[in-house]
Amino acid sequence: MAAPPLEVQDLRTTLFTRRGEMKAVDGLSLSVGAGETVALVGESGCGKSLSALSIMRLLPDPPARIVGGAVKLNGRDVIALPEDGMLDIRGREIGMIFQDPMSSLNPVATVEKQIVEVLMTHTELGRGQARARAHELLELVGMPDAARRLDAYPHQLSGGMCQRVVIAMAIACSPSVLIADEPTTALDVTVQAQVLALLKKLQADSGMAMIFITHDLGVVAETADRVVVMYAGRKVEEATVDDLFEAPLHPYTAGLIGATPTPGAERAARLADIPGMVPPLNALPQGCAFAPRCPRAMERCRTERPTLTAPAPGCLVACFAAEAG
Amino acid sequence: MRRFEFLGRFSRNRGALVGACLILVVALMAVLASVFFPTDPLRIVGQPELWPGEDPEFPLGTDSLGRDILAMIVHGARATLLIGLFASAVATLIGVGVGATAGYFGGWIDEIAMRAAELFQTIPNLIFVLTIVVILGSTLTNIVIAIGIVSWTPIARMTRAEFLSLRDREFVQACRSMGMGDFKIIVAEILPNALPPVIVLSSLVVAGAILFESAVSFLGLGDPNVASWGRLVGDGRQLIRSSWYICAIPGVAIMITVLCLNLVGDGLNDALNPKLRDR
Amino acid sequence: MSLLSLKDVRVHFNTANGVVRAVSGVSLDLAVGETLGLVGESGCGKSTLGKAIMKLVPVAAGEIVVEGENIAPLQGAALAGMRRKVQMIFQDPYGSLNPRSTVGRSIAQPMVLAGWTPDAIAERLETLLGWVGLPGDARQRYPHEFSGGQRQRIGIARALALSPKLIICDEPVSALDVSVRAQVINLLEDLKSRFGVSYLFISHDLSVVEHIADRVAVMYLGMLVEIGGRDQIWRTPQHPYTKALLAAAPIANPKIARSRKRTVLQGELPSPLDPPPGCPFHSRCPIAEDRCKVEKPALRSMANGAEAACHFA
Repeated sequence: MAAPPLEVQDLRTTLFTRRGEMKAVDGLSLSVGAGETVALVGESGCGKSLSALSIMRLLPDPPARIVGGAVKLNGRDVIALPEDGMLDIRGREIGMIFQDPMSSLNPVATVEKQIVEVLMTHTELGRGQARARAHELLELVGMPDAARRLDAYPHQLSGGMCQRVVIAMAIACSPSVLIADEPTTALDVTVQAQVLALLKKLQADSGMAMIFITHDLGVVAETADRVVVMYAGRKVEEATVDDLFEAPLHPYTAGLIGATPTPGAERAARLADIPGMVPPLNALPQGCAFAPRCPRAMERCRTERPTLTAPAPGCLVACFAAEAG
Repeated sequence: MRRFEFLGRFSRNRGALVGACLILVVALMAVLASVFFPTDPLRIVGQPELWPGEDPEFPLGTDSLGRDILAMIVHGARATLLIGLFASAVATLIGVGVGATAGYFGGWIDEIAMRAAELFQTIPNLIFVLTIVVILGSTLTNIVIAIGIVSWTPIARMTRAEFLSLRDREFVQACRSMGMGDFKIIVAEILPNALPPVIVLSSLVVAGAILFESAVSFLGLGDPNVASWGRLVGDGRQLIRSSWYICAIPGVAIMITVLCLNLVGDGLNDALNPKLRDR
Repeated sequence: MSLLSLKDVRVHFNTANGVVRAVSGVSLDLAVGETLGLVGESGCGKSTLGKAIMKLVPVAAGEIVVEGENIAPLQGAALAGMRRKVQMIFQDPYGSLNPRSTVGRSIAQPMVLAGWTPDAIAERLETLLGWVGLPGDARQRYPHEFSGGQRQRIGIARALALSPKLIICDEPVSALDVSVRAQVINLLEDLKSRFGVSYLFISHDLSVVEHIADRVAVMYLGMLVEIGGRDQIWRTPQHPYTKALLAAAPIANPKIARSRKRTVLQGELPSPLDPPPGCPFHSRCPIAEDRCKVEKPALRSMANGAEAACHFA
């Protein structure tokens, strides 16, 4: 059986700052199959963006550094690869798109130049062929009036169009894995719908695996096949999207879902809010990181840290209360 | 608590700490000059042109007329520092006033202010200072004013830039929505936030002012009653080939002070600019 | 008499590239104790409208009537009365408080400007902090010591200081995390049921608006395209843009998400410098006809009780 396109095993990334060491990613494991979309969900500070940057080996060092674990791209561990090996892989086997499309593009280079640069770095195409391919890619990502837009500069394009260019650059070499870090958060709702539909179509056509990082549960429901929920650097739940929304096992997941207003839901007067705040990473409580805010916390939760268990096939949860049922 | 935070951040910059200590030494010299050297430094007290170390009574030697160089340096510190501080104060007052008004109100006020700044910037600084001093007369006050007039433009630009970016912040909008008047917003709300980079710049202007004053005195246009370091350098001009120490010693004093002010400016920048923290 | 009444309000900005008609002829009413949601995408003018009501941007034409008084032509001290009745909370929890003022000083500002005595202010400060769920010692601390959600509470306390009748909320929860968002939304609802304050809730997040608003107004390119009760808008949207907006908004329920029929709205927002003639939406509208390209539709009553600006709804 072929190795999954992306397999992360016990990834650990630590931030070394003047205020102490912070375990930004503390033992994350996940795997994404071909054609599958895994959503990585959590609030700010949970470590989801740093996980993505760790996988891409794009961590700002200092202060962040991968201190353990493995990241297997098509079966090959990339953590230990020297930087030039990684330069070859980035853009070719694995692509990434970021949150703010306006700042993801070089403001002083035309769209064509930026796409051609990707193609010429990773493929054998000559300049003329690369230009033609850039045109094709822009049409593929649904850019209106693609031929004219090739000569445009980023500031002449809207947010949605810039994001299409970024997507074109990311998929230019048909990578097997695409990481999307909050790609639609900065976009309008109707443009967001266009971009999400585009990503789904590209994925269906190419069979690439996708990790979709977001804090918006609505977007998760629309795009994901499986969901991984993170809190304070650790994975606390993993399930299929249907299972997660229907019967969330971890109290944090249940809290997030309860706190998200859903049109047409029972008209409750109050949203179920989660009291308190995410603890700072350099002052995590002993035991379960969520215990101080958890409505189902038991004595055990405050002293012992729960590990991931599998109450049913295909789902994982790190919670003593969930285990107890 | 904020004071300690500030001092902590400042002292993390070793250079700034050294600079601050040395400036403190210079300041002490200025304040305690009369204690250590009670007699008038401009009196002739010994043989002329004694080299440093020749006579233990005059550790830094004597100048062309036989005056004690060490005494003149210590007394000169007062004049030099005061000139630097006051000139910087004048420049800061003009610069912040112009910059804040231009940045906050924009429009034609901004246009006029910026054209005025450009005008002042295109005239070569030293020549401008000399011209003003020649016209107004060689007194300390006039020199301070002249240097202030020449040095306000970078402060104005910096203040203007800060005001431009702060004026559209939501807390300013909140103040306007409460009906707060423009003057109060400028002075009480925006200015405290705009000041940190301006303070850094002002400390550098002190250094620049000392150099200007030295140049003016070197050229013989300084206040004849004030023995600043620049004046000392100027007086030693004639003997620069033989007894060059008469120029060199005050020159070195100027150089060290200016360097220390720059280091302190760096330290202030680190301490006051939170964005550069945790680098 | 409605608390707030806008009549054909227009706001124009002169830019180097031409005139931007940020708000072109918006009329609506807001009743006492009502929460009116104002939704739309970037460039629709909703934030500008909020600022115009607060007199933070100049109004080019139209009337803004607060409890019977037209404040549009007023300036300076004449607005003192209005400022007691209408307050605003902002989007950016990090920019909406002066970093160099203590929390106490920031919250006290409206009271200081209204001429209260220091004792009265201190007492009121205590009360306000209690209402928004912040500890009493917060008054001596600085904004950077608080989280985003707490800073929004401070902003809310500041807005409540003079017991306003209407609070304009300009995207108050957009910059907050999901769990914190819920806390702030709950707080706003509690304050409403306790003090009867009305809200003009400006947001691009439809789910939040659906939860909190009684009535909803939809804007596109500076114009109001539909306005109606919350349930009317969500269950039976009339205007094609409203339908597209609701279709595009993600719903946190995978079964519903999969089962609903979605036509994704194509095209891009036209430039506000060069809006298309006639109906502003015709360039992207699935049911546009020739008439739409020349004639701008006015708001008219629909069968379900809402009002929509469309020739063919």
